[in-house]
Amino acid sequence: MTADSHALATVEHSPVAGLAHDQRGGISNPVLGMLLFITSEVMFFAGLFAAYFNARASNAPWPPTEFEHTLEPIGLILVATIILVSSSFTCQWAVNAIKRNDRKMFIRNISVTLVLGVVFLLLQGYDYTVLYGEGLTMTAGPFGTTYFTLTGFHGAHVFGGVIMLAVVVYRGMAGQFSDRHHDLVEAVSLYWHFVDVVWIVLYSVLYWL
Amino acid sequence: MHPIAHPRNALIIGVTFIVVSILYAVLAEPLGYHVELAGATMLFALGIAMGLMAYILIAGSPRE
Amino acid sequence: MATHALTPAVTAGYRGGLYEWLTTTDHKRIGILYVINSFAFFFIAGLMALAVRAELAQPGLQLLTDEHLYNQLFTMHATLMIFLFIIPMLAGLGNFAVPLQIGAPDMAFPRINALSFWMLPLAGVLLLAGFVTGGAAAAGWTSYPPLTEDRPLASTGSGQDLWIVGVVLIGTSSILGAINFLVTIFKMRAPGMTLFRMPIMVWTMLVTSVLVMLATPVITSALIMLFIDRNLGGNFFDPATGGNAVLYQNVFWFYSHPAVYVMVLPAMGIISEVLPVFSRKPLFGYKAFVFATAGIGALGFSVWAHHMFTTGAVFLPFFALITFMISVPTGVKMFNWVATLWGGQLTFSTPLIFAIGFLTMFLIGGINGAFSAAVPVDFALHDTYWVVAHLHYVLFGGSVFGVFAGVYYWFPKMTGRLLDEGLGKIHFVLMFVGFNLTFFPMHMLGLAGMPRRIADYASSAGWNDWNLAATIGGFMIGASFVPFLWNVFVSLRNGKVAGDDPWEGNTLEWATSSPPPPYNFDHLPEIRSERPVFDLRHGREAGGSH
Repeated sequence: MTADSHALATVEHSPVAGLAHDQRGGISNPVLGMLLFITSEVMFFAGLFAAYFNARASNAPWPPTEFEHTLEPIGLILVATIILVSSSFTCQWAVNAIKRNDRKMFIRNISVTLVLGVVFLLLQGYDYTVLYGEGLTMTAGPFGTTYFTLTGFHGAHVFGGVIMLAVVVYRGMAGQFSDRHHDLVEAVSLYWHFVDVVWIVLYSVLYWL
Repeated sequence: MHPIAHPRNALIIGVTFIVVSILYAVLAEPLGYHVELAGATMLFALGIAMGLMAYILIAGSPRE
Repeated sequence: MATHALTPAVTAGYRGGLYEWLTTTDHKRIGILYVINSFAFFFIAGLMALAVRAELAQPGLQLLTDEHLYNQLFTMHATLMIFLFIIPMLAGLGNFAVPLQIGAPDMAFPRINALSFWMLPLAGVLLLAGFVTGGAAAAGWTSYPPLTEDRPLASTGSGQDLWIVGVVLIGTSSILGAINFLVTIFKMRAPGMTLFRMPIMVWTMLVTSVLVMLATPVITSALIMLFIDRNLGGNFFDPATGGNAVLYQNVFWFYSHPAVYVMVLPAMGIISEVLPVFSRKPLFGYKAFVFATAGIGALGFSVWAHHMFTTGAVFLPFFALITFMISVPTGVKMFNWVATLWGGQLTFSTPLIFAIGFLTMFLIGGINGAFSAAVPVDFALHDTYWVVAHLHYVLFGGSVFGVFAGVYYWFPKMTGRLLDEGLGKIHFVLMFVGFNLTFFPMHMLGLAGMPRRIADYASSAGWNDWNLAATIGGFMIGASFVPFLWNVFVSLRNGKVAGDDPWEGNTLEWATSSPPPPYNFDHLPEIRSERPVFDLRHGREAGGSH
């Protein structure tokens, strides 16, 4: 340990302190891998957002007149947003619980997270049918295409997260996690927070901006 | 570890790309070109992703 | 044939039959699988190129009277070369070398490593399936709309869609591999190997992995949007319904420009390994190499629209300026490589000869690229054979020669046998002469106005002689593979036994047996510099400046 180790600060005081560490002092491999995967997913959505902003700048009025009031920020989609944001809280509570070896609260919170995630997907699916009824479809000009592509791929990512949460619940109920071994729980929770952040950006840009 | 390897300094690369994206968006029109929002968006997002990545890799590395 | 006390007691070898190879998670075997798969697609794509060259040798349509087939051939030639040869070949050599060079027992995620590999032959089958389902993709490897959205013209079958799915699959494989490399490099280095003691090969794989991880998702998004436009009635790129065709080009090239650095940086890493060993001198300016590599990676993200100067929708001075700037770190590397050779005690083994081939050919590619960076020059030369010359000088003259330097260098480590030097030199001469005969005339053809992607040209255009020369050169390149393949075949069976360290190398892979045991190392030498095996061989205790 050199005198320069102050540069990294002690593990306990750095923002990555909360994440699982391995014996040599770095973040555990699966957690690091998931964080890097998340940075790659940021760039995937970047390409889709790039198309959105380009389409928006090239097509006036935006929204088009026939869809002026179709995407209302206050309504079913706000309920879905609140549900997804809440699920991030329950997810983090689950992680905190397993870190102090409280298996019961961990299972409870992670199961609630899973349920909230499924509810979000169902609400989104229902919202899609409402929008279809108002004429907003994938083929409805760039407005429709960008809306459904962005929210659709976000939904696909939520679905992937739901599968991962289900695996965590299953393995959790089989007693496979403890305060010292819970890499998968942390990795999945990081992914889930990411999916939530993307939704907040999507919701703000598509509905409010 | 060398003082420059502090994780916070890793964010410099992210900030650099964000600055480049802003310059790209802001300088185009005065110089007579149209503003390409697709490019600006991708550069901006790259700044976020790069900064995050650089921070995680440095902060998450084992201490030597 | 140097051996030392670190030779592991266990005899290493690739025992086990087909099942072992199909289910392996050992990075060394996976690396070899990558190399074999990549060479297979290299040959397929090479045959396509020979078909193109055979047609273009003389004016008039002789062989490929169906021009649509011609379009499929040049499209698939480029697609296979980029996505199933160069990128995975370098990933495979990196897969083999990186854990060994950092003193690790394997990659961080061995099973994901295997998954990354096996996605590739599957993707290759999907891409080629277009030929038997009514026509492969035929709109150029760049797949621009509106052509790719106009189904009858672009492809009579589902070739374009198979192309999209295949490339997205390859992209996913790459991204997973990049994450694997980054976690491995940052988390699994042997004690004493600080970042600034890593071999340059590892540094180039690090920067390449950053580029792959952050850029590849963008082409995934572009291709998904193209798929949606083609199949789900989307309106991203069709101007008639409010879309924007140039938008595709922006998103596509945001990936595809960093991709060219993905295709060349690991090859530069290989050169940086080979030159010091065969000049018996340390690499000149190690730190400059690290910063130059990082600089190329960072700048490479900001130049994409230099592929689109002629669209009229590009912020020209921004892209031209930054493109010129990339020649600075690249030039630094060229000078440092030459400085490494200068005054060294040179051993002209095949790896060094291919490395020198890289230096000379990549220099030409860099110079003609600098010309293209100038907007007015590009306005005249865009979509002509000048660009074909440029891209082949950097990707073939650069990357392919680098790949062969790496293959000849690491073949003994992978197999325990040396490749024959005589056959290696014949391979080099045939390939070097053939390559220049093929691609140098394309500079003249471009300047004389010959466009790209045409199946035929008028006899009166004045392009006949250079085209014929290029075709002869192309077949010479093809012929050069005969001594290479013969060499591999014969050496695997009867080659001289290599021992641990046939080249008197500097880096850790030479501190274990050839091939290494599954767990790579029994013991590691003390690591005090970027040349731990050199230090060990010369009995050094405390290292130099590090």
